[in-house]
Amino acid sequence: MAEPILTVKDLSCGFHTEDGYTRVVDGMSYELHAGTTLGLVGESGCGKTVSALAVMGLLPRPAGVVEHGEIRLKGEQISNSSTEALRAFRGRRIGMIFQEPMTALNPVHRIGKQLLETIQLYEPELDNGAQQARAMELLEQVGIPAPRQRLREYPHQLSGGMRQRVMIAMALAGNPDVLIADEPTTALDVTVQAQILELLGALQRAHGMGVIFITHDLGVVAQLCDEVLVMYAGRIAERASAKQLFRTPRHPYTHGLIRSIPQLDTPLKSPLPTIEGVVPPLNALPPGCRFSNRCRYADERCEAESPALALCQPQHEVACHHWRRLAA
Amino acid sequence: MTTPVLEVRNLTKFFPVRAGVFLRKVGDVHAAEDVSLRVHRGETLGLVGESGCGKSTVGRVILNLLRPTRGQVLFEGRDLSELSRAEWRALRRDMQIIFQDPMESLNARHTVGRILEEPFVIHKIGTSHERRIWAQDLLERVGLPRDSVSRFPHEFSGGQRQRIGIARAIALKPKLIICDEAVSALDVSVRAQIINLLLELQREMELALLFIAHDLSVVRHVSDRVAVMYLGQIVEQAPSREIYERPGHPYTRALVSAIPIPDPDRHGERIVLEGDVPSPITPPAGCRFHTRCAYAQDRCRQHQPSMETMGSAHEVACHRRRELPAPAA
Repeated sequence: MAEPILTVKDLSCGFHTEDGYTRVVDGMSYELHAGTTLGLVGESGCGKTVSALAVMGLLPRPAGVVEHGEIRLKGEQISNSSTEALRAFRGRRIGMIFQEPMTALNPVHRIGKQLLETIQLYEPELDNGAQQARAMELLEQVGIPAPRQRLREYPHQLSGGMRQRVMIAMALAGNPDVLIADEPTTALDVTVQAQILELLGALQRAHGMGVIFITHDLGVVAQLCDEVLVMYAGRIAERASAKQLFRTPRHPYTHGLIRSIPQLDTPLKSPLPTIEGVVPPLNALPPGCRFSNRCRYADERCEAESPALALCQPQHEVACHHWRRLAA
Repeated sequence: MTTPVLEVRNLTKFFPVRAGVFLRKVGDVHAAEDVSLRVHRGETLGLVGESGCGKSTVGRVILNLLRPTRGQVLFEGRDLSELSRAEWRALRRDMQIIFQDPMESLNARHTVGRILEEPFVIHKIGTSHERRIWAQDLLERVGLPRDSVSRFPHEFSGGQRQRIGIARAIALKPKLIICDEAVSALDVSVRAQIINLLLELQREMELALLFIAHDLSVVRHVSDRVAVMYLGQIVEQAPSREIYERPGHPYTRALVSAIPIPDPDRHGERIVLEGDVPSPITPPAGCRFHTRCAYAQDRCRQHQPSMETMGSAHEVACHRRRELPAPAA
């Protein structure tokens, strides 16, 4: 297999709070290959967004801390220095889009100004005319009609879907190798979501980017991702291809999640299978498996000993002492 | 047929748009137009559509939180606009609402006990001792510990707070509950718990539910019938299974095809609509969907289609309903 475009090794990070330090992501490792989409799924607070921010070098300082971890982009280590130059480099090689573009766009500046700022940062050698042309080209790439007019408009004049397209255009400005999409369609309506997913797929095919798609919507994961990481309380619970994950989930948490979504053939108004209980708070995690208090397979070993991520089938890893019982 | 618990007839709600120094009215937001629907005892009607289509406005008009511009709301056959204040107050017990974000609808400074006793206090029911017991009973019914009465809303997780919202809604044994995006903000595993709770309570209390949401797979699961709204109007209404398996309206077809199915082996034909929803201040003439519809013809641009039946209990507002190709399976 070709060399991965992005490698994250043993990443742990967290935040200093009033009550002391809380680790949010604990020992996360993964690889992303060019032209593929890696899904990062899990429920609120599982660490999926924080892990992505750490990769981007965007954890809020001074509260956010990367304890350790190695991040390599095309083989080059980018994790250890935090100079301005490196941050600019990261922003250019790794683009990121967010759930709510309105919070990422500056409401008092025209779209054109914000887009040109980004282009100036990445391509200072271009003259004014060429930068303008590049801005138009980017907006056209993301399917915005009448780009010349849009450049003169303010963010509030655009619909949610159009704003997300502008964000994507800005993320693409540096021709990144990796695009991190953090719940980019969660705030959008289904038909607009369909448009944006279609666009992301087309852009990925055209540019060969590696995409990290963060979402809690397993439907989107199934339709979009090649490989999936399921996170639970800061750790990876399972890693597999999308096909294997949905066909043969091996972690009881993944299994429960998939079963709790109403499918097209679920009898109407029948009780849905649930995962009882709630996620433990990050500052009071159990010593063993973090899912043990909600798991029907849990025993003494699970409460005492934390399971490591291990192969259960080729290309399929799970962190569970009892995955064989689920496989049976 | 028995009288429906809730009947909405030709409900229309416009919001004035004002501009200029003297705030002169320059137009109207056509939030809801000619909306008619019925919900029977023990039945769930799902109301779906995208943001701004007017589904929440309909819910708020039903509860008299907004006054309709035209049209009627009937509760068990009685026209709400003809009730006196006292009659309305008595009837208000029978209709409740659950919102998307319980944190915004629960008073953060009150204990859960006080929040749950409040409906009884407002309607002057029971002694303070009885109210406290009832509050604890309610908590137990929605799956929370009885001693939660002395805690505050912020001490609970999102799912638990929604349970408190539900406990408050069922306190006075209502006949109708409007769920306005009640499970939309919840995580998947918690969402299933709350859906199950709502379905259980519906069976026990024979509740009529108006389930307003944009998540079509959840709506399909909880609803007996589903109504689809686009730009303030209902464009299709049918039994739940029917609307997902044989959607009639081109808009419904696009909506249904856009649901991401959690199964990598099932790639349905995704219909991607072009463009955005037009402004509700100047909705298009004729069929409101014609600007985005692949099947639009001249008559669609000129004449507004009315709701016509298409098979039993299935109504569609589309001129070309009988000419469209069969929906992709």
